[in-house]
Amino acid sequence: MKAAPTLDGRIRIDIEDALDLAVLRAIVADAHARDDDLASRLAAGIDPDLAEDWDDYVLPELRGSFNAQLETIVGVLGKVTPGETFFIGREDAEAWFGGLNQARLALEERYHLSENEGIEEDDEVKSAGIRSHFYQMLQGMLLHFLMDGDAL
Amino acid sequence: MPESDTLLEQDTALDQPWNVVVYDDPVNLMDYVTWVFMKVLSLPKSVAERRMREVHEQGRSVVWNGGREEAELYTQQLQSHQLQAKMEKPGE
Repeated sequence: MKAAPTLDGRIRIDIEDALDLAVLRAIVADAHARDDDLASRLAAGIDPDLAEDWDDYVLPELRGSFNAQLETIVGVLGKVTPGETFFIGREDAEAWFGGLNQARLALEERYHLSENEGIEEDDEVKSAGIRSHFYQMLQGMLLHFLMDGDAL
Repeated sequence: MPESDTLLEQDTALDQPWNVVVYDDPVNLMDYVTWVFMKVLSLPKSVAERRMREVHEQGRSVVWNGGREEAELYTQQLQSHQLQAKMEKPGE
């Protein structure tokens, strides 16, 4: 797989083979790596005085927003095949960034990757760590080339 | 205690300002957290970076303080950017 910024302000991703596509499709599977969803985890520590309102009004919005991010990714990856190229533009950059973040958060919570760095890992954890690093690399490109990263 | 004093205490409790607090996590990128603070809280870059460093180095940072409704809005927006944001009453 090749990923690079283009002159017209997009990220170009070349899917060279089926493995590349499988790695990208793992983003959505990894985002669901935990039984409880991200919105619930974020809301878990909210002040007890606010919890009821939060569950009724905020939680559904957060869920909708996080699901929409993943649907954007699924929509793009459902159309491409090995050997093809696709582009991520500014309009979809935040959705991709958010979907990748969901995947990294879920992997971290499931495998505790940051705590186990450098420790001998089994294949499942090692594979999760490699995917997480790849997602982080893509996030860096999105942030700095598409999401007003010049301001940073 | 006279009724008027009781009502005054209740009003004061409801009006007290809330802190919006962001907690550290091992996933969100430092530049991204700075970017979110600039976007959601309209902080200048230098202040956003300072708050991000507080989160990273001290484990948490109070990024906003004020009325409940605005605090709820900012907390929701920060959570929608997947940051560990909470509302706390000062002193908690």
